[in-house]
Amino acid sequence: MNIHLLAILLSLLMFLLVVDLVRRHKLTFKYALAWLLVSSSGVFFSIFHKFLFKIAGLLGFELPSNFIFFTLFCVFVFLSLIMTVFLCQQNSRNDTMAQKIALLEFEIKLLKQKSSN
Amino acid sequence: MPNSLSQAKILIIVPAFNESGNIGRTIEDIKKQSLPVDILVIDDGSVDGTALEAWGLGVKVVSLPFNLGIGGAVQTGFQYALQYGYSIAVQIDGDGQHDASFLEKLIAPILDDKADMVVGSRFIEDRGGFKSSFARRLGIHFFVHLINTLTGLNITDPTSGFRAHNQRLISVFAHYYPHDFPEPESIVVAKRLGGRIVETAVLMRKREEGQSSIRQLKSLYYMVKVTFAILLHMIRSKEGR
Repeated sequence: MNIHLLAILLSLLMFLLVVDLVRRHKLTFKYALAWLLVSSSGVFFSIFHKFLFKIAGLLGFELPSNFIFFTLFCVFVFLSLIMTVFLCQQNSRNDTMAQKIALLEFEIKLLKQKSSN
Repeated sequence: MPNSLSQAKILIIVPAFNESGNIGRTIEDIKKQSLPVDILVIDDGSVDGTALEAWGLGVKVVSLPFNLGIGGAVQTGFQYALQYGYSIAVQIDGDGQHDASFLEKLIAPILDDKADMVVGSRFIEDRGGFKSSFARRLGIHFFVHLINTLTGLNITDPTSGFRAHNQRLISVFAHYYPHDFPEPESIVVAKRLGGRIVETAVLMRKREEGQSSIRQLKSLYYMVKVTFAILLHMIRSKEGR
């Protein structure tokens, strides 16, 4: 199979998957937008790959494939940093909720005890 | 600021994680002092009946749904203290290491409005008692110097979890308190916010049951982690989490 065709197919699949995930409410707006942008630019560049080669040349990459790997690598490093921030936020919210629940549970226990006396 | 024991509303926060056997002794020890205090045990997701043992002794028991670590547990105590308007919150560990007969001495500088935080230290004067293992003493020594270099404070026992706080620090710590190994870091947090921190000499005992959460082999890891946490804290903004 032609590599060009394969790239188009894979990026299209990716794009459709993201759209489907949004449709089924699996991706919320906050993250959907970024993923839609990434996957649609994937489709764009796989179809108009000459454009990609031009940018690679302008930036001084000898091989367009190096440019692609470099870009992908940067995107993933950035993405994992964002995900870590998100994870920390969830973690601290989780702890705060555990503390709130424990305090509320204690108050309920006291109220129950009061009402049964 | 209340200036007598009877005027102050004092909460004793006892964080406990799987301390059945020790927790009862700790509570009895506090009650023996017959001070006008409320005792709040924070059961940090124990699975060994710690909460039941404490509840049976008629003290307040707040049970966390899962283990948050000592910092998260103590912070829950500060949140309770803030919510119910306590003027002083004392932390005393649930493992029976801290001698409750020093409670009054620990609270005194806060009642006199001479300190925002009082740390009970084993090392101020040599009264004997338990001084902890060699490895841990080495670590403590390191933190003494680290805290001194960063903040100019002279604290002799920065890992001591036997401490008292006034209303100002209660509201600070209810919103932000380091979670993992909070003792040295919380001193730095308090100092950076302009808190007055003093130490008072106390005796500590050896743990009777269970194991300290800081084991010999983990000492080094503990030191690296806490140092990193403190340094990270220094580059943080003072507002917000």
